[in-house]
Amino acid sequence: MSLSFLPTLPFEMSYPLLFGALLVAGMLGGEFARLLRMPRIIGYIVVGFLISPLAHAMHMRPLIEEARIFVDLALGLVLFDLGRRMDIRWMRRDWTLAASGIAEGVFAFFAVLAALLSFDFSPVQAGLGAAIAMTASPAVLLLVIHDTRSEGQVTERALNLVALNGLVASILTTIMLGSAHFEARMDIETAVLHPLYLFLGSLALGGAMAAAARVIARTVEKDREVHFSLITGLVVAAVGLASLLKLPVILALLAFGLFARNDQRGYDLLNVNLAPVGRLLYIVLFVITGASLPLGLLASSFTLAILIVAARAAGKMVAVLAIAPVGGLRIQQAIGLGLAMLPMSSLPLLMLHDILRSSPGFDPDLTAAILSSIVMMEILGPFAVQYGLRLAGESLPQLDSTFMGLRAYKARA
Amino acid sequence: MPLEFTPSEPLTFGVELELMVLNTHDYNLTRGAADLLPRLNKKDLPGEVKPEITESMIEINSAVNRRYSDLLSQLVTVRDAIVATADRLNLEVAGGGSHPFHRWHERRIYPTERFKRVSSLYGYLAKQFTVFGQHIHVGVENGDDAVYLTHRLAPYIPHFIALSASSPFYQGEDTSFETSRLHAISAFPLSGHMPDVSTWAEFNGFFDEMLEYGIVGSMKDFYWDIRPKPEYGTIEIRICDTPLTVERAAQLAAYAQTLVSHLLSERRTEPVAPLYRVYGYNRFQATRFGFQATLIDPYTRSQTRLREDLISALERIAPTAEVLGTTNALRDLEKVAEDMANDSLWLREQYQEVRSLNDVVRLQAERWRNDPPPKNVKG
Repeated sequence: MSLSFLPTLPFEMSYPLLFGALLVAGMLGGEFARLLRMPRIIGYIVVGFLISPLAHAMHMRPLIEEARIFVDLALGLVLFDLGRRMDIRWMRRDWTLAASGIAEGVFAFFAVLAALLSFDFSPVQAGLGAAIAMTASPAVLLLVIHDTRSEGQVTERALNLVALNGLVASILTTIMLGSAHFEARMDIETAVLHPLYLFLGSLALGGAMAAAARVIARTVEKDREVHFSLITGLVVAAVGLASLLKLPVILALLAFGLFARNDQRGYDLLNVNLAPVGRLLYIVLFVITGASLPLGLLASSFTLAILIVAARAAGKMVAVLAIAPVGGLRIQQAIGLGLAMLPMSSLPLLMLHDILRSSPGFDPDLTAAILSSIVMMEILGPFAVQYGLRLAGESLPQLDSTFMGLRAYKARA
Repeated sequence: MPLEFTPSEPLTFGVELELMVLNTHDYNLTRGAADLLPRLNKKDLPGEVKPEITESMIEINSAVNRRYSDLLSQLVTVRDAIVATADRLNLEVAGGGSHPFHRWHERRIYPTERFKRVSSLYGYLAKQFTVFGQHIHVGVENGDDAVYLTHRLAPYIPHFIALSASSPFYQGEDTSFETSRLHAISAFPLSGHMPDVSTWAEFNGFFDEMLEYGIVGSMKDFYWDIRPKPEYGTIEIRICDTPLTVERAAQLAAYAQTLVSHLLSERRTEPVAPLYRVYGYNRFQATRFGFQATLIDPYTRSQTRLREDLISALERIAPTAEVLGTTNALRDLEKVAEDMANDSLWLREQYQEVRSLNDVVRLQAERWRNDPPPKNVKG
């Protein structure tokens, strides 16, 4: 009798098993965090921290490479969603919105650039580091907004600012990648054409996907579930197409979302809520992000990381606090908006990975410091957003009506 | 201490309009009152803009007017100001009696003491009360006239229902009613109509009794379709859905003003009690069937269609309208009745066209903004 129908050891990790395990573990971590009245994201990240040595012991490659497909899918969805919430007409009507978005990015950029230059990094390297620091975290923001059921001016403005600085930062890195090519003595054509291809290609892909979405939407019933399948399918396909065409997922999907919304020609596409599928991918995204963050670096690059974090936070807060009140925001709202810009998560991590891939000579000390600052803001960021939205009065009060009813009932008894 | 009825100049009039505050990405209700109101209060506007029970509602109170044309012009001014302010906040504002697809449990109570108290007393009814009505005030000289008019306007309530109906959709579904908003009000224990009292003194007796029972604390606690408003010196008609345009709102007020004038000059003397025996039936018919409702006249014991009843009432008061300057307004209402084309029909037609309630709300907001056109079109 042969036992060849039995599995053989050692087991190999497969994608479905990996996805399922990360999802369930992350969910449990998130619910535990909620018990402690912390943002769920903290739970997801901490599970990631715990899983990382395990994955290492199992001789897996770093999770972010192993499961890059999940990260891309999740970020694709995040950025598509963000693009849909970005409103260019609003920016035209209220100049302070676009101005505070540009200013908080630019201020953070120059603050971090100055800090890094003072540590004698080369201008291009410092510039790339500063561009990474410009970004905020759309995933953290969207998830905290969803979990706290926030609604209002700060929520809406924060989403627009994050979209705007994500856009600016990815354009900036694309350009600076050109200079990095140039520094690496590649030919001038590549230095110019490559960034141009990345930028225009992403826009074209985003535009084409939005057009396709509209054409298909017109042929099917205008039904929420039908459109949900359509949009989810196209978002996943767009992520695949972007990596096929070697285009940045971030920019391509942001463009897709933007074109899907800011189009006045028709209202064929329903604005379906992608949260149900989003939640699954977000959990996995944060667990993987947590697992990819090297906590060990924190000790060695602590000083520089603190400096980056402080310069970045100061740049963002100063810009928002200076401009938001001009747009009529109350001081609590302005502070809330500034705080919502603070998290750093998968977006800068991914940008860093992309930079390392296309320019392997990137300074290892700077890499370590950037990673450490991401670790810090990954932990502090969700608290900052949660506190900021509560300060602005936009998150749903904690007690629900059943608890209030019970309390009132017991008080009467 | 008896309720004092503050006399006011007869036939002056004004309106309150409750409006929805919407986001621009899926046109659901959103909390925006707390951002809109401080900005609006800095502007010099006729009347007032105030908070309502949930954070996704605001209320316009017009100033007191004598002429229909003044009221309309004032409402357009206020509307333009609200639209401009909302634009800066990326919010939309719209008329309509109910939001077609919002979920009541997502609403948040506007944090004032009174609204918090109402919310803790009425539980989910308070959030269900996120419906949008128009109240019309007409000035009267004394409490006795107010009591008289409150009764004698009762037979006209179905007209106001059919003309203003703009809430066919509720919680994402077509309710098959012309107005679904009134159901949210009927749930309250003190809704309905004033009891059969015939003078202000008698009314005071009734009010004192209710006060002693501890059932009410003030006039505000009665959610009647028509009620005397002693502090303003008016009678208040509270039955209308907020129409989709300020023009319709002003026309409805003009109809009320003209009716009041007519009823004061040709005093009715029939007994009051029979009016209320058919009241609930007629009211239901109007909410369900609009212009095609069957109305019962308790005095002649006959049935008429609402559409014909309304048209003949409008013709009856036409001479009074000439005096008050409401002829054009009433002629437009007559056209609405003839075509049976109220706002509920418009909303249903839009839905048939665009097949998405989100888009229906977008079109509702567009209509609120542009119909009638803004006064100063800025580039």
